[in-house]
Amino acid sequence: MQRSIEIDSPLPVSPGNPARPTLAAKVAGYPAVLSGLVTLRSFAVFIAIWWAAAAWTHSPLQLPTPLSVLTALKSLAIDGEMLDNALTSFTRLAISMGIAVVVAVPLGFLMGLSERANAYIDPMVEVLRPISGIAWIPLALFIFGVGDVLPVFIMTYVACFPLLLNTIAGVRGTDRRLLAAARTMGVPQSRIVRHVVMPGALPTIMVGLRLAFAGAWSAIIAAELIGSPSGLGFAIEWYRQLLMSPKVFAYIIAIGAVGYSCDVALQALQRTLTPWARGTELA
Amino acid sequence: MSDTMTRPKLRLDHVTKEFAAPRTGLRTVAVSDVSLEIQAGDFVCIVGPSGCGKTTVMNMIAGLDKPSSGTIEIDGAPITGPGADRGVMFQDYALFPWLTVRDNIGFGLRNGTPGRGMAANDVEERISKHIELVRLGGAETKYPHQISGGMRQRVALARLLANGPDVLLMDEPLGALDAQTRLILQAELLRIWGETAPREERKTAVFITHDIAEAVFLSDSVVVMSSHPGRIRAVLPIDLPRPRDEHVRAHPRFAQLSEEIWELIRDEAYRAIA
Repeated sequence: MQRSIEIDSPLPVSPGNPARPTLAAKVAGYPAVLSGLVTLRSFAVFIAIWWAAAAWTHSPLQLPTPLSVLTALKSLAIDGEMLDNALTSFTRLAISMGIAVVVAVPLGFLMGLSERANAYIDPMVEVLRPISGIAWIPLALFIFGVGDVLPVFIMTYVACFPLLLNTIAGVRGTDRRLLAAARTMGVPQSRIVRHVVMPGALPTIMVGLRLAFAGAWSAIIAAELIGSPSGLGFAIEWYRQLLMSPKVFAYIIAIGAVGYSCDVALQALQRTLTPWARGTELA
Repeated sequence: MSDTMTRPKLRLDHVTKEFAAPRTGLRTVAVSDVSLEIQAGDFVCIVGPSGCGKTTVMNMIAGLDKPSSGTIEIDGAPITGPGADRGVMFQDYALFPWLTVRDNIGFGLRNGTPGRGMAANDVEERISKHIELVRLGGAETKYPHQISGGMRQRVALARLLANGPDVLLMDEPLGALDAQTRLILQAELLRIWGETAPREERKTAVFITHDIAEAVFLSDSVVVMSSHPGRIRAVLPIDLPRPRDEHVRAHPRFAQLSEEIWELIRDEAYRAIA
């Protein structure tokens, strides 16, 4: 109660809480070899259950055995077909993420910095946001037809929202003490945005980027399943029609692998761009 | 010239600050009818219990907050907003976590008014000089989260001084330090402020603390505030000789002054913990 007056003041005056090591930070200190073994073990259990289920159902169409999937995976990998499809999908993903960053991040800055811009744009965002990207596929088929544009459009749409919302949150969440400090040094507004708000929002934007990627990667499969003559999603649909379940499963594994690798790469990017944010809740 | 001799560096005239709580609209008077004159070259400490509005007073002098009524002047001109003529050292240092020690110290010089018109070489030289001043050589490329609390505090001090403000505003800058480091840095602070220099060359310093001994050791005068609402209880001139060193603490006058200040705030201090 004694500090209530100061707490009510628009400038935060209470000492900031120092970064406390999070669970993630503690796990990071876990010996790598040991955690590798744990991962391996959980994979082994998963494959054992799969095998048992495949033996039980005894229907290669519904659930092929791990071994047949592995064989399919090998042949698809060797003749380069899988790589082609993966590259096609990945290129679309990269283009979509690029467009989403160029559109959503500046828009997020505008909305985060200007109350007025936010009042104009936010209602539209709130109406569009709950509509799944997949819901646009039929309409997009009419507009773009089957091809590259449709999956790129769907993914860009999906990726924009988490990026936009995280950018806004990051901009608004800029530490007010740092803004105050910059102002007392006579730093002009434009430079405050460039040198305080931008780096301050970066960790939150990076989180948005990872969420955007995860959403986009899920959406690409649906988009390619229906609206594309190439890519990982198309391949799944193709082999489904040919009733070649092992290859369907092989592609599902490829989707998981590409998604996982991209997230690992994004985490590495996050660590490189925002090394100071490690050990905070955003890292 | 005679004008500047008589005119105070900072003048607070019947300053009142109210805050409205965001949801309830309930108004709290943080600072009530504070009038104070601070002469150029003075080292003034503000002491008082938590919630007495010390920080609010400092934020208003810094231009980060506006008084609800009353005026604050610097060199006779009203304060309308923040400016690099009044440097602030924040309670928790407010260092930029994404900048190295060197870039933090150089932030104002590179981006703000203090470095305007300076050649890039001069800016870098000035940064290096201040890194040496607070003895942070060797830690220049470290980030704030990689250094100790005492080092962060020195980074903040170096940043404040590198900007070369006329007025130093410091909000419990030594609060987070252990007792020994604190004593050493108090003496250091006086040296940097210009205790040994002639009066005209000293900066004007406003220093917030809740440590009475610290206030007596540092100040030319101590402003004692009381809380609910925050107002000035008394202004005590500290007539201890300068330059001051450790021995001044053993001076009978030191104990006497500390006692006087304690008498002024003890009732409230006891009430606060009751």
